[in-house]
Amino acid sequence: MSPDLQNPFVLWLLLSAALAGLTYAFVRKELQVRAVFYGAILLACGVAIWPPFDKDGTPGKIHLGLDLKGGIHLVLQVVIEDAYNATVGDAVTTSRDQAARQGIQFGVIERTDATSFSVRGTEPARVKDMRGVLEDQFSPGWNIRTEGEDGFSIRMTDIYKRQLGDQTVEEAKRTLERRVNELGVAEPVIARHGSTGDQILVQLPGVEDVEQAKRIIKTTAQLSLRLVEDSAASEETLLEGTGGRLPDNLVIMSSSAQGSGERLYYLLRRESMITGRDLKTARVGVDENNRPQINFILNANATDKFSRETRRNIGRQLAVVLDDRVYSAPTIQSKLGADNRITGQFTTEEADELSKILKAGALPATLRYLQELTVGASLGRDSIRDGVRASVAAMAFIVLFMVGYYRLSGLNAVVALSANLLIVAAFLAYSGATLTLPGIAGIILIVGVGVDTNVLVFERIREELRNGKTVRMAIQNGFDRVLTTIIDTHLTGLIAAAFLFQFGTGPIKGFAITLIIGLMANVFASYLVSKFLFEWVLGKRRVESLSI
Amino acid sequence: MEILKNPNVDFLGRAKYLAIASVLFVAAGIYAVAGGHVRYGVEFSEGTQLILQFQSTPEIEKIRGAVESISPGSVIQTFGEAEDNRVLIRLALEALEADLDAPARAALATLAEAYGENSVIESSSESVGPIVGAELRRKAILLVSLGLLFQLIYLGVRFKGGIWGAGAAVAALHDVIIAVGILTFFGYEITLNIIAALLTLVGYSVNDTIVIFDRARENLRQRHKLSISELLNNAINQTLSRTVITSGTTGLALMGLYLFGGEVLRGFSFVLVVGTIVGTYSTMFVAVPLVAFWYGRKVRPEARAANAAL
Repeated sequence: MSPDLQNPFVLWLLLSAALAGLTYAFVRKELQVRAVFYGAILLACGVAIWPPFDKDGTPGKIHLGLDLKGGIHLVLQVVIEDAYNATVGDAVTTSRDQAARQGIQFGVIERTDATSFSVRGTEPARVKDMRGVLEDQFSPGWNIRTEGEDGFSIRMTDIYKRQLGDQTVEEAKRTLERRVNELGVAEPVIARHGSTGDQILVQLPGVEDVEQAKRIIKTTAQLSLRLVEDSAASEETLLEGTGGRLPDNLVIMSSSAQGSGERLYYLLRRESMITGRDLKTARVGVDENNRPQINFILNANATDKFSRETRRNIGRQLAVVLDDRVYSAPTIQSKLGADNRITGQFTTEEADELSKILKAGALPATLRYLQELTVGASLGRDSIRDGVRASVAAMAFIVLFMVGYYRLSGLNAVVALSANLLIVAAFLAYSGATLTLPGIAGIILIVGVGVDTNVLVFERIREELRNGKTVRMAIQNGFDRVLTTIIDTHLTGLIAAAFLFQFGTGPIKGFAITLIIGLMANVFASYLVSKFLFEWVLGKRRVESLSI
Repeated sequence: MEILKNPNVDFLGRAKYLAIASVLFVAAGIYAVAGGHVRYGVEFSEGTQLILQFQSTPEIEKIRGAVESISPGSVIQTFGEAEDNRVLIRLALEALEADLDAPARAALATLAEAYGENSVIESSSESVGPIVGAELRRKAILLVSLGLLFQLIYLGVRFKGGIWGAGAAVAALHDVIIAVGILTFFGYEITLNIIAALLTLVGYSVNDTIVIFDRARENLRQRHKLSISELLNNAINQTLSRTVITSGTTGLALMGLYLFGGEVLRGFSFVLVVGTIVGTYSTMFVAVPLVAFWYGRKVRPEARAANAAL
């Protein structure tokens, strides 16, 4: 085959030209335009679906849904409160810093609830300055209210909350997209979902290791490197060292349980030296003892900061924290640069997963699972087998009946049905919509609708013939008289299918799509093409009888 | 070959006897829904459903013993064809959003321990938390009602008369209620796929009604000497062979889907088989009689006026 024929458009043009030639030679003049037009549409469909299914390594054009292929379907909820909390936390820190910078004395600045914080005990002379600081920092997004003589209550506005929520969900979605890319899944779906605005739909067709995929998706993956102030075998011991109360700038985190089952507790700086955002890339490596480790490279800005901070803190311990758990706490030996590593008690798989997650970045908030559907690959294969078997049985029965009952006209109906199915298949291939099990059921239903249209027309033609009309008149009247009925039935069908499409996800959507396309294709195939076939076969000569 | 050449059956005359049957069936359907007898699938009722494929023929009693120990009241049954060694387990444990797949993991762990000699080689699962369950329930009800409403508005506009749309509506509602009743009677669960099937059933029922209404309307324009009941009855007779052939072929094709389409599509095709039968019946014995009754109450000149309006 010459390379040009690989181009579907060129192939279609050539085939259509050949069709036009044949039409010119064999079809009567008044039918030629329709012949070429209908034929070209069907040829385009034929070219669009080839090859339909996976074969010899070439991927098929028709995508199978995950109920047929196996895979995971997850509905996740982004816990937006996490983002509110983090934002309020940042705001509290900023206010304290700014107040201190301006030399304003104050009692406390602290969080009151998820979306607000308060300032109390401002020195009386500087209340106005404090207000200025707050307005400078938080003016558009927050409501600042005076509380008593020396206090303020600062609360997020609803607009800002919505905006923040939306940003958080978008960011979570982008992170999930990067992680799924790391998994190497073909044709994943990651989309906003539901009416509440905080849900994300993840569909991973053909995934084999379901558990791994779920872990990689769900891990929050907040990486941070923090200076260690102290470490001990229990939290109580650490608290004794700080005088029983944990200072604001410190946190306590534990290491993961080691081989012996003992945990070590660390007193860490709340502020991170490096976070997951500062990473340029991460990958798995091995240390000098051939144990797996994670190598990561910092971006340029973070490298400067990291070098400065490590030089200043030589001899102290630096904790590597992932999702509030200390993985390791090596001592800083020298000034560190861009290229670093995390060692710990990983298996190679764990290290591999962690590096993938780190590379894809952290989630801005925790995710909750709302719905989870996993389909095993062999269950999917058996479903295809059953679906195909049922379709073949239904088709065979209908073809036999139509040809047996309506003779040559029945053959016309079979051609029309095949054209209808070809269009549905071509649409599925071209649009990238997936074929699901309910989709197969939809196709069988379309076959039913197609048969209904043909039967409606044929019965009407028979009736006209009984009333003594000529064959040509009977066909003309038959098609004309049922047109309104066909339009009515198809439009009501489309209304129902449109609602299903709006509502459905996954399989149901597949059903709705096949139904919508099938209904439209049916008007073309069972009405226009079928009518053309009658006119073409009967020709110009006088016809005494009709095989119907 | 032709079946039913020029039939002339008095359908409307028989409708009043069949009305009793319709009322009884609808009452049974309403009883099933209102009395809380309808079973809902995982997606609407929250929970976890597993489809496990075992190495060799699974022994249901042993599996039940293992699963009951962590989740009493679970439903356990074979799934699909015997040679596939599949079992469906509907866990009674509540699925919580915090750890949605915990019940499924617990069940698999228990099975591995108590029934280790026949290991699970493939597991498929569906877990639905309360939030999605409630959202889907709300949406499903909205969807079926709105789908029906919009089809009716279209019919009302097309036929320029509320009664025609209302006739089709009552017939479609009649079909949905009876179908739900029959589903419940045969122990099927209402799942998302069943909702899709019910909406398709509505489409089918309305479709069937339109064919006869359209024919009656065409007759109205031509033969003004007949009463509206006669015209409607004629319309049923004239389209009868089409009705029989279409319902027959579609019904049999769907029967093929029911028999060979596999376990996943069984409930779906069941609704559609039932729908084909009930939908055809309701067109002839519910929708058309309602319209005939409406116009029949009026004296002739007014009925004539109604005809003229069409």
